[in-house]
Amino acid sequence: MKRTLLLLRKDALVLRRSPLLLGILLAYPLAIAVLVGLVASYANSKPRVALVDEDNLPPTVVIGGKRFHVDRTIQEVGKNVKLVRLSPKAAEQQLGNGKVVAVVTVPPGFISTLKEMVRSPQLEVQLSQGTISSRVDQQVQALVYSLNRQLQRAYIGSNLKYVTLILHGGNGTFLGRTFDVLGLERSERVLRGMRQTPDVRRLEDFIHDARLALANTGAALKATAHPIELVRASARGRSWVLSANVQAYALALTITFLTLMLAAGSLAAERDENVIGRLARGLVGLGHLVWAKIALAAALALVLGISIAVAFGVIIEIGGVTGGEPWRRLPLLVLGLLLAGGSLGALGALLGALAREARSASLVALLVVLPIVFLGLIPAEIVPPAGWASSALPFTHAFEFFRSALFDLSPWGELVRQALWLVALGAVFGGLARLGARRLLA
Amino acid sequence: MRPGQPLLAARGAGRRFGQTTALHPVDLELWEGEGLALVGANGAGKSTLLSLLAGALEPSMGGIDRRNGVRVGWAPQRPAQYGRLSARENLELFARLEGEPDPEEASARLLREFDLPGKASPSANLSVGNRQRLNLAIAFLGRPDVLLLDEPTAALDPEQRRRLWERVSALREAGGAFAFATQNLDEIERHADRVAALRHGRLVFVGPAEEYDRSQTDTLFA
Repeated sequence: MKRTLLLLRKDALVLRRSPLLLGILLAYPLAIAVLVGLVASYANSKPRVALVDEDNLPPTVVIGGKRFHVDRTIQEVGKNVKLVRLSPKAAEQQLGNGKVVAVVTVPPGFISTLKEMVRSPQLEVQLSQGTISSRVDQQVQALVYSLNRQLQRAYIGSNLKYVTLILHGGNGTFLGRTFDVLGLERSERVLRGMRQTPDVRRLEDFIHDARLALANTGAALKATAHPIELVRASARGRSWVLSANVQAYALALTITFLTLMLAAGSLAAERDENVIGRLARGLVGLGHLVWAKIALAAALALVLGISIAVAFGVIIEIGGVTGGEPWRRLPLLVLGLLLAGGSLGALGALLGALAREARSASLVALLVVLPIVFLGLIPAEIVPPAGWASSALPFTHAFEFFRSALFDLSPWGELVRQALWLVALGAVFGGLARLGARRLLA
Repeated sequence: MRPGQPLLAARGAGRRFGQTTALHPVDLELWEGEGLALVGANGAGKSTLLSLLAGALEPSMGGIDRRNGVRVGWAPQRPAQYGRLSARENLELFARLEGEPDPEEASARLLREFDLPGKASPSANLSVGNRQRLNLAIAFLGRPDVLLLDEPTAALDPEQRRRLWERVSALREAGGAFAFATQNLDEIERHADRVAALRHGRLVFVGPAEEYDRSQTDTLFA
C-alpha cells in the first residue's frame, strides 16, 4: 500500500509539472461534453414530458353520452413525446433539473368540469427554457387540439339537447337539477289562446324569431372548436445547458477521457522511462503498479468531477436557477467519481499495458474514448446490441450514476446497481491489466 | 565446485521474446568478493542476462537463485529514472521504495558522491553523463550486496569512471560482488576476476579473467 501511494504521489507530481497537457486534457473533454449533450438531446426523438394527474384520470370517461378512452388518447400522445406520469413534486424537480422538458398538469376536478360542459376545464403546461421546448410546445398543442376535436362532438350534441328542450319544452336536467321547461312551441300555443293584445303579438313575434334562430344553433355550435383552454404558466426550471443530462454527460465524458488517457499513458510511460524493470525487481509488483494507476485515475476523477460539479452549482446559484440539489448530493457524487474513475482507470491501464508505449497508449485511449461515449448515447431500446456493448463499459454506468446521484428523488436503487456495475467492470479490467502488464517487461 | 551458496545464480535461466530466443539457458554463479565481466557483441544477451539476475525480467525457462537477505542493485544500460522528477526526487523516491531508513539522507549522500546537481530541474534536462551518474546512483540505494551494472562507464568521464570503480571495489572488499557488462577489454583486465562470454545468446566461455584469451574477442564480436 505504501509503495502504491509512493507511485501515486510521483504520478501526481509528474502531472503537476505538465500544466499545458493538463489544461488541454481538461478543456477538450468539457467542450466535447457540451457538444455531445447537445447532439444527444436532439437525437432523442421523443422529448420527455411529465404528466401530473391530480384528478386521477379514469381509463374511460362518458361526456355528453359519448365514451372517451383516456388511455388511448395518452398512448396517441406517446407517439410523439415520452409521457411519464409523475407526482407534482417529482415533476417540478425534474423540470427544474432538466430531466423532463415539460410538465402537463391535469388539475383536480378536470373531469367533473368537463362533464358539466358549462365552462372549459384547464390543462396547465410548464415548459423548460431552451430551444427544445418549442418542439414540446407544439406537441402539447397538438394533444389539446386532438382532445378538443373529440370533445367538440359531445359538447355540441349535449348543447343541442338544451336547444331542443327550449324549442319544444319538456323535462331536463342542469347541474344535477331536474326541471320542466314550457318551450317555445308550447309558449306560442299558450299565447294563441290568449286575447290578442299588442303585447301578446310582440311576444308571438319574438317566439317566432327565436324558433327560427334556434333552428340554426346546431350549425353554429359545430363551429365552436375549443372547449379546452390551454393556459401557459411562466417558464421555470434550468435552461438547457444546465440540465441534468448535460451535467451528467460533462462529468462522465470528462473523467472518461482523462482517466483513460492518463491511466493508459502513465502505465506505458513506466516502460518508456525504462523504470518498469527497476520497479518490477521486487520494489513494486506489477499488481501494485496497476493499482497505483487505478488510484491515480480515481483521485483525478474525484478532483475534476467535484470541480465541475461545484462550477455547475455556482452557476446555478448565481443565476438563481431553480431545480436540482447542487450541494446536498455532492457526497454521493464523491462515491460515484471514485468508482467511475477507478473502473475507467482499470480500463485505461489495460490499454496502456496492451499498447506498451505512452504515445501509442494515449492515441489508443483517444480512439477508444469516442466509441465508448457514443455507444453510451445510443438508446438501448432502439439498438439493443449497442446497449449490451455499452453495458460492458464503464461510461454508461458512470453517466447513470451521476444523473441519479445528482437529480433523482430516490436514487438509492439506481446508485447501488450502477456502483456494482462499476466495481465489477473495474475488477475485470484491473485483472486483465495486471495480466497484460507483463508485456511491459518485454 | 565451491562450498556454500553463491550470492546470486542463474540456473538454466533463459529468455524468449516472442519467437526469438534472446538468451539460451545459462548456468552462472556470482560469489562473495567477486567481480564478473560479461562480454559479447551487441545483442549477444548480456543485458538480458543482467536483467534476469536483477529480477527485472522473468526467465522464460530456468530460474534465478538469490541467497536469503542478499540485496541487489541494478543499473541498466539505458538510464532508468523519471525524466520529470529532479535527480534528488528520483533518488528519494527510489530510496523509499528500497526501504532506506532515511531517504533524504541517502539521497543527499548519493547526490554528493556522484556529483549530481541538487536543483529541482527535471532529470530529463541533465546531460547524458549526469543521467548515467544518476542511473548508477540509484543502483547504490538500499545498501546492495551485489551490483549488476550494464555498461556502466559508457557515458562517464575518466574521473567519474575512476570514482565508480573505487566504490565498486569497496563493495567487493566488504564481501559483496558485482557483475558488469562491457565492451572495454581494459576494464576486464583491471576489475574482473572472472569473465563470462556470450555469443548469439549462448554462454560460450566462463572462467578466470586471466584465462580469458583476448584472441577470442575477434570470434565473439564477429
